[in-house]
Amino acid sequence: MKCSKKRWLTMAATATIYLVALAVRADEQLFGFVRGAETLPQGQSELYQFVTLRTGKNEGTYYGVDFETEVEHGFTDRLQASLSLENHYFYNRGVNGPTDGLDDSDRYRFGGVEGSVKYSVLSPFKDPVGLAFRIEGGYLSNDEVDGLPQHDRYVAPEMDLQRNFFDDTLICEFWYGSEFAWGKQPAEQYPRELAIQGGAGISYRVAPNWFIGIESHVRSEWPMFDFDNFEHVVVYGGPSLHYTTKRWWTTLTWVNQVWGEGIDEPHNGQTFAEETRQAVRLKLGVNF
Amino acid sequence: MNRTIFWSTPAAIVIAGSVSGYATTYLTVNQAQKLCFANATEFAPSDVALSPEQMRAIQKDSGVTVRFATQKVWRVRAGDRFLGWFLADQVLGKHEFITWALALNADGSVRQIEILDYRETYGYQIRDGQWRAQFYGKQHGAPLKLDVDIRNISGATLSCRHITDGVKRLLSFYDLVLKD
Repeated sequence: MKCSKKRWLTMAATATIYLVALAVRADEQLFGFVRGAETLPQGQSELYQFVTLRTGKNEGTYYGVDFETEVEHGFTDRLQASLSLENHYFYNRGVNGPTDGLDDSDRYRFGGVEGSVKYSVLSPFKDPVGLAFRIEGGYLSNDEVDGLPQHDRYVAPEMDLQRNFFDDTLICEFWYGSEFAWGKQPAEQYPRELAIQGGAGISYRVAPNWFIGIESHVRSEWPMFDFDNFEHVVVYGGPSLHYTTKRWWTTLTWVNQVWGEGIDEPHNGQTFAEETRQAVRLKLGVNF
Repeated sequence: MNRTIFWSTPAAIVIAGSVSGYATTYLTVNQAQKLCFANATEFAPSDVALSPEQMRAIQKDSGVTVRFATQKVWRVRAGDRFLGWFLADQVLGKHEFITWALALNADGSVRQIEILDYRETYGYQIRDGQWRAQFYGKQHGAPLKLDVDIRNISGATLSCRHITDGVKRLLSFYDLVLKD
Protein backbone atom coordinates (compact mmCIF):
# COMPACT_ATOMS: atom_id res chain seq x y z
CA MET A 1 0.00 0.00 0.00
CA LYS A 2 1.52 3.28 -1.06
CA CYS A 3 -0.71 5.53 0.98
CA SER A 4 1.33 7.16 3.73
CA LYS A 5 1.23 6.11 7.34
CA LYS A 6 0.27 9.64 8.34
CA ARG A 7 -2.64 9.59 5.92
CA TRP A 8 -4.01 6.33 7.27
CA LEU A 9 -3.58 7.42 10.85
CA THR A 10 -5.47 10.59 10.03
CA MET A 11 -8.29 8.61 8.44
CA ALA A 12 -8.48 6.16 11.30
CA ALA A 13 -8.52 9.01 13.80
CA THR A 14 -11.22 10.80 11.80
CA ALA A 15 -13.36 7.68 11.73
CA THR A 16 -12.85 7.18 15.45
CA ILE A 17 -13.80 10.76 16.26
CA TYR A 18 -16.94 10.42 14.14
CA LEU A 19 -17.89 7.24 15.92
CA VAL A 20 -17.15 8.30 19.44
CA ALA A 21 -18.55 11.80 19.17
CA LEU A 22 -21.78 10.73 17.58
CA ALA A 23 -22.78 8.23 20.19
CA VAL A 24 -26.80 8.33 19.42
CA ARG A 25 -29.01 5.43 17.38
CA ALA A 26 -31.64 4.97 14.63
CA ASP A 27 -33.89 2.05 14.09
CA GLU A 28 -31.44 -0.56 15.15
CA GLN A 29 -29.72 -2.19 12.21
CA LEU A 30 -28.39 -5.71 12.55
CA PHE A 31 -26.83 -5.64 9.10
CA GLY A 32 -24.57 -3.39 7.12
CA PHE A 33 -26.49 -3.37 3.85
CA VAL A 34 -29.87 -4.94 4.67
CA ARG A 35 -32.87 -3.21 6.23
CA GLY A 36 -35.72 -4.68 8.25
CA ALA A 37 -39.31 -3.62 8.90
CA GLU A 38 -38.97 -1.96 12.30
CA THR A 39 -39.43 1.76 12.85
CA LEU A 40 -38.61 4.10 15.69
CA PRO A 41 -41.25 4.65 18.38
CA GLN A 42 -43.07 7.99 18.30
CA GLY A 43 -41.03 10.88 19.60
CA GLN A 44 -37.71 9.02 19.55
CA SER A 45 -34.76 10.37 17.62
CA GLU A 46 -31.53 8.71 16.71
CA LEU A 47 -28.26 9.60 15.09
CA TYR A 48 -26.12 7.26 13.01
CA GLN A 49 -22.66 7.39 11.66
CA PHE A 50 -21.77 4.94 8.89
CA VAL A 51 -18.23 4.51 7.64
CA THR A 52 -17.77 2.29 4.60
CA LEU A 53 -14.44 1.30 3.11
CA ARG A 54 -14.63 0.01 -0.47
CA THR A 55 -11.47 -1.46 -1.88
CA GLY A 56 -10.11 -3.68 -4.67
CA LYS A 57 -10.30 -3.00 -8.38
CA ASN A 58 -9.10 -5.00 -11.34
CA GLU A 59 -5.73 -3.31 -11.09
CA GLY A 60 -3.88 -0.72 -9.06
CA THR A 61 -4.79 0.48 -5.58
CA TYR A 62 -8.25 1.80 -4.82
CA TYR A 63 -9.72 2.97 -1.53
CA GLY A 64 -13.07 4.71 -1.40
CA VAL A 65 -14.29 5.67 2.06
CA ASP A 66 -17.87 6.86 2.54
CA PHE A 67 -18.93 8.80 5.62
CA GLU A 68 -22.67 9.05 6.11
CA THR A 69 -24.13 10.98 9.03
CA GLU A 70 -27.86 10.54 9.52
CA VAL A 71 -30.53 11.82 11.88
CA GLU A 72 -33.80 9.91 12.17
CA HIS A 73 -37.03 10.67 14.02
CA GLY A 74 -40.16 8.65 14.77
CA PHE A 75 -43.19 10.84 14.02
CA THR A 76 -45.60 8.07 14.97
CA ASP A 77 -44.97 4.49 16.05
CA ARG A 78 -45.28 3.54 12.39
CA LEU A 79 -43.75 6.50 10.55
CA GLN A 80 -40.16 7.65 10.68
CA ALA A 81 -38.10 10.00 8.53
CA SER A 82 -34.40 10.69 8.21
CA LEU A 83 -31.97 13.20 6.78
CA SER A 84 -28.33 12.46 6.04
CA LEU A 85 -25.12 13.97 4.73
CA GLU A 86 -22.68 11.99 2.61
CA ASN A 87 -18.93 12.55 2.30
CA HIS A 88 -16.22 10.57 0.53
CA TYR A 89 -12.50 10.09 0.59
CA PHE A 90 -10.69 8.57 -2.40
CA TYR A 91 -7.21 7.20 -2.80
CA ASN A 92 -6.43 5.75 -6.25
CA ARG A 93 -3.14 4.74 -7.79
CA GLY A 94 -2.94 2.94 -11.10
CA VAL A 95 -6.64 2.13 -11.43
CA ASN A 96 -6.49 2.79 -15.12
CA GLY A 97 -6.94 -0.50 -16.89
CA PRO A 98 -9.23 -1.10 -19.84
CA THR A 99 -12.38 -1.24 -17.70
CA ASP A 100 -11.73 1.19 -14.86
CA GLY A 101 -9.96 4.26 -16.22
CA LEU A 102 -9.74 6.32 -13.04
CA ASP A 103 -7.25 9.12 -12.62
CA ASP A 104 -4.90 8.90 -9.67
CA SER A 105 -6.43 10.77 -6.78
CA ASP A 106 -6.09 11.49 -3.08
CA ARG A 107 -9.01 13.70 -2.12
CA TYR A 108 -12.10 14.32 -0.04
CA ARG A 109 -15.38 15.13 -1.75
CA PHE A 110 -18.76 16.18 -0.47
CA GLY A 111 -21.19 13.48 -1.60
CA GLY A 112 -24.61 15.03 -1.15
CA VAL A 113 -27.79 15.12 0.88
CA GLU A 114 -30.28 12.28 1.29
CA GLY A 115 -33.63 11.84 2.99
CA SER A 116 -35.97 8.94 3.61
CA VAL A 117 -39.44 8.13 4.91
CA LYS A 118 -40.40 4.68 6.20
CA TYR A 119 -43.85 3.44 7.13
CA SER A 120 -44.44 0.23 9.04
CA VAL A 121 -47.54 -1.70 7.98
CA LEU A 122 -47.07 -4.92 9.97
CA SER A 123 -44.98 -5.52 13.09
CA PRO A 124 -42.45 -8.37 13.09
CA PHE A 125 -43.16 -8.80 16.82
CA LYS A 126 -46.86 -9.63 16.63
CA ASP A 127 -47.84 -10.15 13.00
CA PRO A 128 -46.86 -13.20 10.94
CA VAL A 129 -44.37 -11.05 9.05
CA GLY A 130 -43.15 -7.49 9.47
CA LEU A 131 -43.72 -5.23 6.48
CA ALA A 132 -42.63 -1.66 5.85
CA PHE A 133 -42.40 0.61 2.85
CA ARG A 134 -39.55 3.06 2.55
CA ILE A 135 -38.72 5.73 0.04
CA GLU A 136 -35.39 7.50 -0.18
CA GLY A 137 -34.35 10.44 -2.28
CA GLY A 138 -31.48 12.85 -2.54
CA TYR A 139 -29.10 15.05 -4.42
CA LEU A 140 -25.54 13.79 -4.93
CA SER A 141 -23.04 16.32 -6.26
CA ASN A 142 -20.10 13.92 -6.58
CA ASP A 143 -20.19 10.26 -7.48
CA GLU A 144 -19.03 7.55 -5.09
CA VAL A 145 -16.64 5.84 -7.52
CA ASP A 146 -14.08 8.61 -7.83
CA GLY A 147 -15.74 11.80 -6.64
CA LEU A 148 -16.46 13.01 -10.14
CA PRO A 149 -18.95 15.88 -10.42
CA GLN A 150 -22.55 15.10 -11.22
CA HIS A 151 -26.03 16.43 -10.53
CA ASP A 152 -27.60 13.16 -9.44
CA ARG A 153 -31.19 13.48 -8.21
CA TYR A 154 -32.66 10.16 -7.29
CA VAL A 155 -35.67 8.52 -5.74
CA ALA A 156 -35.60 4.94 -4.42
CA PRO A 157 -38.78 3.18 -3.26
CA GLU A 158 -38.46 -0.17 -1.53
CA MET A 159 -40.28 -2.82 0.46
CA ASP A 160 -38.83 -4.20 3.72
CA LEU A 161 -39.84 -7.58 5.12
CA GLN A 162 -38.86 -9.09 8.45
CA ARG A 163 -39.63 -12.43 10.08
CA ASN A 164 -38.45 -13.29 13.57
CA PHE A 165 -38.13 -16.78 15.01
CA PHE A 166 -37.39 -18.38 18.41
CA ASP A 167 -38.69 -15.55 20.62
CA ASP A 168 -37.15 -12.93 18.35
CA THR A 169 -33.62 -14.31 18.70
CA LEU A 170 -33.32 -15.31 15.03
CA ILE A 171 -34.09 -12.44 12.71
CA CYS A 172 -34.50 -12.64 8.96
CA GLU A 173 -34.69 -9.47 6.91
CA PHE A 174 -35.30 -8.92 3.22
CA TRP A 175 -35.63 -5.78 1.18
CA TYR A 176 -36.26 -5.15 -2.48
CA GLY A 177 -36.58 -1.95 -4.43
CA SER A 178 -35.49 0.26 -7.26
CA GLU A 179 -33.72 3.55 -7.75
CA PHE A 180 -34.45 6.11 -10.43
CA ALA A 181 -31.62 8.61 -10.94
CA TRP A 182 -31.29 11.66 -13.16
CA GLY A 183 -28.27 13.88 -13.78
CA LYS A 184 -25.57 11.21 -13.70
CA GLN A 185 -23.40 13.07 -16.22
CA PRO A 186 -20.59 13.87 -16.45
CA ALA A 187 -19.59 11.22 -13.89
CA GLU A 188 -21.30 8.59 -16.03
CA GLN A 189 -21.90 8.21 -19.73
CA TYR A 190 -25.69 8.35 -19.56
CA PRO A 191 -27.85 11.01 -17.90
CA ARG A 192 -30.46 8.64 -16.45
CA GLU A 193 -30.21 5.28 -14.78
CA LEU A 194 -32.46 2.70 -13.21
CA ALA A 195 -31.15 0.40 -10.50
CA ILE A 196 -32.88 -2.72 -9.24
CA GLN A 197 -31.59 -3.62 -5.82
CA GLY A 198 -32.28 -5.72 -2.77
CA GLY A 199 -30.77 -7.75 0.00
CA ALA A 200 -31.35 -10.42 2.59
CA GLY A 201 -29.79 -11.29 5.90
CA ILE A 202 -30.17 -13.64 8.81
CA SER A 203 -28.84 -12.85 12.27
CA TYR A 204 -28.90 -14.80 15.53
CA ARG A 205 -28.61 -13.52 19.08
CA VAL A 206 -25.66 -15.60 20.29
CA ALA A 207 -25.53 -13.90 23.69
CA PRO A 208 -27.30 -10.99 25.37
CA ASN A 209 -26.55 -7.87 23.29
CA TRP A 210 -24.64 -9.78 20.61
CA PHE A 211 -25.91 -10.82 17.17
CA ILE A 212 -23.93 -12.64 14.49
CA GLY A 213 -25.31 -12.83 10.99
CA ILE A 214 -24.71 -13.28 7.32
CA GLU A 215 -26.03 -11.02 4.62
CA SER A 216 -26.06 -10.46 0.90
CA HIS A 217 -27.15 -7.66 -1.37
CA VAL A 218 -27.52 -7.25 -5.10
CA ARG A 219 -27.68 -4.27 -7.42
CA SER A 220 -28.14 -4.06 -11.17
CA GLU A 221 -28.05 -0.87 -13.24
CA TRP A 222 -29.87 -0.04 -16.45
CA PRO A 223 -28.95 3.29 -18.15
CA MET A 224 -31.75 5.39 -19.65
CA PHE A 225 -34.34 3.39 -17.64
CA ASP A 226 -34.12 0.82 -20.42
CA PHE A 227 -34.03 -2.90 -19.68
CA ASP A 228 -32.45 -3.46 -23.09
CA ASN A 229 -29.53 -1.29 -21.99
CA PHE A 230 -27.77 -3.36 -19.34
CA GLU A 231 -24.75 -1.86 -17.58
CA HIS A 232 -23.77 -4.13 -14.70
CA VAL A 233 -24.98 -6.41 -11.95
CA VAL A 234 -23.19 -7.28 -8.74
CA VAL A 235 -23.80 -9.53 -5.74
CA TYR A 236 -22.00 -9.06 -2.44
CA GLY A 237 -22.11 -11.31 0.59
CA GLY A 238 -20.44 -11.69 3.95
CA PRO A 239 -20.74 -11.80 7.75
CA SER A 240 -21.99 -9.13 10.12
CA LEU A 241 -21.48 -8.58 13.83
CA HIS A 242 -23.88 -6.48 15.88
CA TYR A 243 -23.58 -5.25 19.45
CA THR A 244 -26.12 -3.16 21.29
CA THR A 245 -26.62 -1.45 24.62
CA LYS A 246 -29.50 0.58 25.94
CA ARG A 247 -28.13 3.82 24.52
CA TRP A 248 -26.20 2.84 21.42
CA TRP A 249 -25.49 0.04 19.00
CA THR A 250 -22.86 -0.81 16.45
CA THR A 251 -22.67 -3.12 13.46
CA LEU A 252 -19.57 -4.28 11.61
CA THR A 253 -20.02 -5.95 8.23
CA TRP A 254 -17.57 -7.25 5.68
CA VAL A 255 -18.81 -8.20 2.23
CA ASN A 256 -16.99 -9.66 -0.72
CA GLN A 257 -18.05 -9.46 -4.34
CA VAL A 258 -19.55 -12.91 -4.86
CA TRP A 259 -20.46 -12.41 -8.47
CA GLY A 260 -20.61 -9.61 -10.97
CA GLU A 261 -20.97 -8.89 -14.63
CA GLY A 262 -20.57 -5.64 -16.51
CA ILE A 263 -20.92 -4.52 -20.08
CA ASP A 264 -17.53 -4.05 -21.74
CA GLU A 265 -15.83 -6.02 -18.98
CA PRO A 266 -14.25 -9.49 -19.12
CA HIS A 267 -16.80 -12.21 -18.38
CA ASN A 268 -14.91 -13.60 -15.41
CA GLY A 269 -17.63 -13.32 -12.81
CA GLN A 270 -16.51 -9.96 -11.44
CA THR A 271 -17.28 -6.33 -12.23
CA PHE A 272 -15.09 -3.41 -11.19
CA ALA A 273 -16.11 -0.41 -13.28
CA GLU A 274 -18.39 0.90 -10.50
CA GLU A 275 -17.86 -1.80 -7.90
CA THR A 276 -15.07 -3.12 -5.72
CA ARG A 277 -13.80 -6.50 -4.66
CA GLN A 278 -14.88 -5.97 -1.07
CA ALA A 279 -16.35 -3.50 1.37
CA VAL A 280 -16.29 -3.06 5.13
CA ARG A 281 -19.02 -1.04 6.80
CA LEU A 282 -19.06 0.12 10.39
CA LYS A 283 -22.27 1.62 11.74
CA LEU A 284 -22.84 3.36 15.00
CA GLY A 285 -26.22 4.49 16.24
CA VAL A 286 -27.15 6.38 19.39
CA ASN A 287 -30.62 7.27 20.67
CA PHE A 288 -31.44 10.60 22.22
CA MET B 1 1.61 0.06 9.24
CA ASN B 2 -0.69 0.07 8.82
CA ARG B 3 -3.18 -1.97 7.31
CA THR B 4 -3.31 -3.68 10.66
CA ILE B 5 -4.03 -0.51 12.59
CA PHE B 6 -6.52 0.76 10.05
CA TRP B 7 -8.49 -2.46 9.75
CA SER B 8 -8.42 -3.20 13.44
CA THR B 9 -9.66 0.25 14.51
CA PRO B 10 -13.37 -0.50 13.95
CA ALA B 11 -13.10 -3.85 15.74
CA ALA B 12 -11.35 -2.20 18.66
CA ILE B 13 -14.15 0.36 18.94
CA VAL B 14 -16.77 -2.39 18.95
CA ILE B 15 -14.98 -4.42 21.60
CA ALA B 16 -14.13 -1.41 23.76
CA GLY B 17 -17.72 -0.25 23.68
CA SER B 18 -19.08 -3.62 24.70
CA VAL B 19 -18.31 -3.05 28.36
CA SER B 20 -20.48 0.02 28.81
CA GLY B 21 -24.02 -1.40 28.96
CA TYR B 22 -26.14 -0.75 32.01
CA ALA B 23 -29.47 -1.74 33.50
CA THR B 24 -32.30 0.08 35.18
CA THR B 25 -33.37 -1.62 38.39
CA TYR B 26 -36.84 -0.54 39.41
CA LEU B 27 -37.45 -2.96 42.25
CA THR B 28 -35.60 -5.60 44.22
CA VAL B 29 -37.28 -8.94 44.84
CA ASN B 30 -38.03 -7.95 48.44
CA GLN B 31 -39.59 -4.66 47.37
CA ALA B 32 -41.72 -6.41 44.75
CA GLN B 33 -42.87 -8.99 47.30
CA LYS B 34 -44.06 -6.27 49.66
CA LEU B 35 -45.83 -4.45 46.83
CA CYS B 36 -47.66 -7.61 45.76
CA PHE B 37 -48.51 -8.92 49.24
CA ALA B 38 -48.59 -5.96 51.63
CA ASN B 39 -50.06 -8.00 54.49
CA ALA B 40 -47.79 -11.03 54.17
CA THR B 41 -45.79 -12.17 57.16
CA GLU B 42 -43.81 -14.92 55.45
CA PHE B 43 -42.23 -15.49 52.04
CA ALA B 44 -40.98 -19.07 52.16
CA PRO B 45 -38.51 -19.91 49.38
CA SER B 46 -39.86 -22.87 47.42
CA ASP B 47 -37.77 -22.97 44.26
CA VAL B 48 -38.70 -25.71 41.83
CA ALA B 49 -36.17 -27.68 39.78
CA LEU B 50 -38.03 -28.68 36.64
CA SER B 51 -37.44 -32.05 35.06
CA PRO B 52 -37.02 -32.19 31.27
CA GLU B 53 -40.49 -33.79 31.10
CA GLN B 54 -42.02 -30.94 33.07
CA MET B 55 -40.29 -28.35 30.89
CA ARG B 56 -41.63 -30.04 27.77
CA ALA B 57 -45.12 -30.26 29.28
CA ILE B 58 -45.16 -26.56 30.18
CA GLN B 59 -43.89 -25.66 26.74
CA LYS B 60 -46.54 -27.81 25.08
CA ASP B 61 -49.32 -26.43 27.26
CA SER B 62 -48.37 -22.76 26.94
CA GLY B 63 -46.77 -22.74 23.51
CA VAL B 64 -43.92 -20.75 25.03
CA THR B 65 -40.28 -21.85 25.27
CA VAL B 66 -39.09 -22.78 28.79
CA ARG B 67 -35.53 -21.47 29.01
CA PHE B 68 -34.61 -22.17 32.61
CA ALA B 69 -34.75 -25.45 34.53
CA THR B 70 -35.15 -23.72 37.88
CA GLN B 71 -38.14 -21.56 38.72
CA LYS B 72 -37.80 -19.18 41.63
CA VAL B 73 -40.89 -19.45 43.82
CA TRP B 74 -41.96 -18.17 47.25
CA ARG B 75 -44.97 -19.47 49.17
CA VAL B 76 -46.71 -16.48 50.77
CA ARG B 77 -48.53 -16.51 54.09
CA ALA B 78 -50.10 -14.04 56.51
CA GLY B 79 -49.95 -15.90 59.78
CA ASP B 80 -51.72 -19.22 59.18
CA ARG B 81 -53.50 -17.97 56.09
CA PHE B 82 -52.10 -19.00 52.69
CA LEU B 83 -52.15 -15.93 50.42
CA GLY B 84 -50.63 -17.28 47.23
CA TRP B 85 -47.36 -17.51 45.32
CA PHE B 86 -44.65 -15.08 44.31
CA LEU B 87 -42.61 -16.05 41.25
CA ALA B 88 -39.48 -14.25 39.99
CA ASP B 89 -38.74 -14.79 36.34
CA GLN B 90 -36.92 -13.58 33.26
CA VAL B 91 -38.14 -13.11 29.70
CA LEU B 92 -36.18 -12.13 26.64
CA GLY B 93 -36.04 -8.47 25.80
CA LYS B 94 -34.76 -7.37 22.45
CA HIS B 95 -31.18 -7.41 23.69
CA GLU B 96 -31.12 -8.66 27.26
CA PHE B 97 -33.38 -10.34 29.77
CA ILE B 98 -36.23 -8.48 31.44
CA THR B 99 -36.48 -9.48 35.10
CA TRP B 100 -40.04 -9.47 36.37
CA ALA B 101 -42.27 -11.00 39.03
CA LEU B 102 -45.68 -12.60 38.98
CA ALA B 103 -47.86 -12.79 42.08
CA LEU B 104 -50.62 -15.40 42.12
CA ASN B 105 -53.59 -15.55 44.44
CA ALA B 106 -54.31 -18.74 46.35
CA ASP B 107 -56.66 -19.89 43.55
CA GLY B 108 -53.93 -19.45 40.91
CA SER B 109 -55.30 -16.27 39.37
CA VAL B 110 -52.94 -13.39 38.58
CA ARG B 111 -52.74 -10.97 41.50
CA GLN B 112 -50.04 -8.58 40.31
CA ILE B 113 -47.12 -8.11 37.92
CA GLU B 114 -44.00 -6.08 38.66
CA ILE B 115 -41.04 -5.23 36.43
CA LEU B 116 -37.79 -5.48 38.39
CA ASP B 117 -34.99 -4.83 35.87
CA TYR B 118 -35.36 -3.34 32.42
CA ARG B 119 -32.34 -2.92 30.16
CA GLU B 120 -33.88 -2.23 26.76
CA THR B 121 -33.74 0.96 24.73
CA TYR B 122 -37.48 1.08 24.09
CA GLY B 123 -40.50 -0.60 25.67
CA TYR B 124 -40.32 0.63 29.27
CA GLN B 125 -44.04 1.43 28.96
CA ILE B 126 -44.78 -2.12 30.11
CA ARG B 127 -44.35 -0.71 33.62
CA ASP B 128 -47.55 1.23 33.09
CA GLY B 129 -50.04 0.16 35.78
CA GLN B 130 -53.02 0.10 33.45
CA TRP B 131 -51.27 -2.20 31.02
CA ARG B 132 -50.24 -4.63 33.76
CA ALA B 133 -53.73 -4.51 35.27
CA GLN B 134 -55.10 -6.26 32.18
CA PHE B 135 -53.60 -9.48 33.48
CA TYR B 136 -55.10 -9.33 36.95
CA GLY B 137 -57.59 -12.11 37.57
CA LYS B 138 -56.45 -14.10 34.53
CA GLN B 139 -56.15 -17.82 35.10
CA HIS B 140 -54.65 -20.79 33.33
CA GLY B 141 -56.51 -21.30 30.06
CA ALA B 142 -56.94 -17.60 29.26
CA PRO B 143 -55.92 -16.74 25.66
CA LEU B 144 -53.22 -14.28 26.78
CA LYS B 145 -52.53 -13.02 23.32
CA LEU B 146 -51.74 -9.51 22.13
CA ASP B 147 -54.67 -7.78 20.44
CA VAL B 148 -56.98 -10.58 21.62
CA ASP B 149 -57.35 -10.23 25.39
CA ILE B 150 -54.22 -8.14 26.04
CA ARG B 151 -53.87 -4.66 24.60
CA ASN B 152 -50.57 -3.96 22.91
CA ILE B 153 -48.54 -0.82 23.53
CA SER B 154 -47.38 0.49 20.18
CA GLY B 155 -43.66 1.10 20.28
CA ALA B 156 -43.20 -1.52 23.01
CA THR B 157 -44.57 -4.51 21.12
CA LEU B 158 -41.71 -6.93 21.72
CA SER B 159 -41.70 -6.34 25.48
CA CYS B 160 -45.51 -6.59 25.63
CA ARG B 161 -45.48 -9.89 23.77
CA HIS B 162 -42.69 -11.45 25.79
CA ILE B 163 -44.25 -10.45 29.15
CA THR B 164 -47.60 -11.79 27.92
CA ASP B 165 -45.92 -15.04 26.89
CA GLY B 166 -44.17 -15.13 30.27
CA VAL B 167 -47.48 -14.89 32.13
CA LYS B 168 -48.91 -17.66 29.98
CA ARG B 169 -45.90 -19.88 30.67
CA LEU B 170 -46.01 -19.31 34.43
CA LEU B 171 -49.74 -20.01 34.56
CA SER B 172 -48.99 -23.33 32.86
CA PHE B 173 -46.21 -23.89 35.39
CA TYR B 174 -48.69 -23.23 38.19
CA ASP B 175 -51.28 -25.55 36.68
CA LEU B 176 -48.94 -28.43 35.89
CA VAL B 177 -46.38 -28.22 38.70
CA LEU B 178 -47.20 -25.84 41.52
CA LYS B 179 -50.88 -26.46 42.09
CA ASP B 180 -50.31 -29.98 43.36
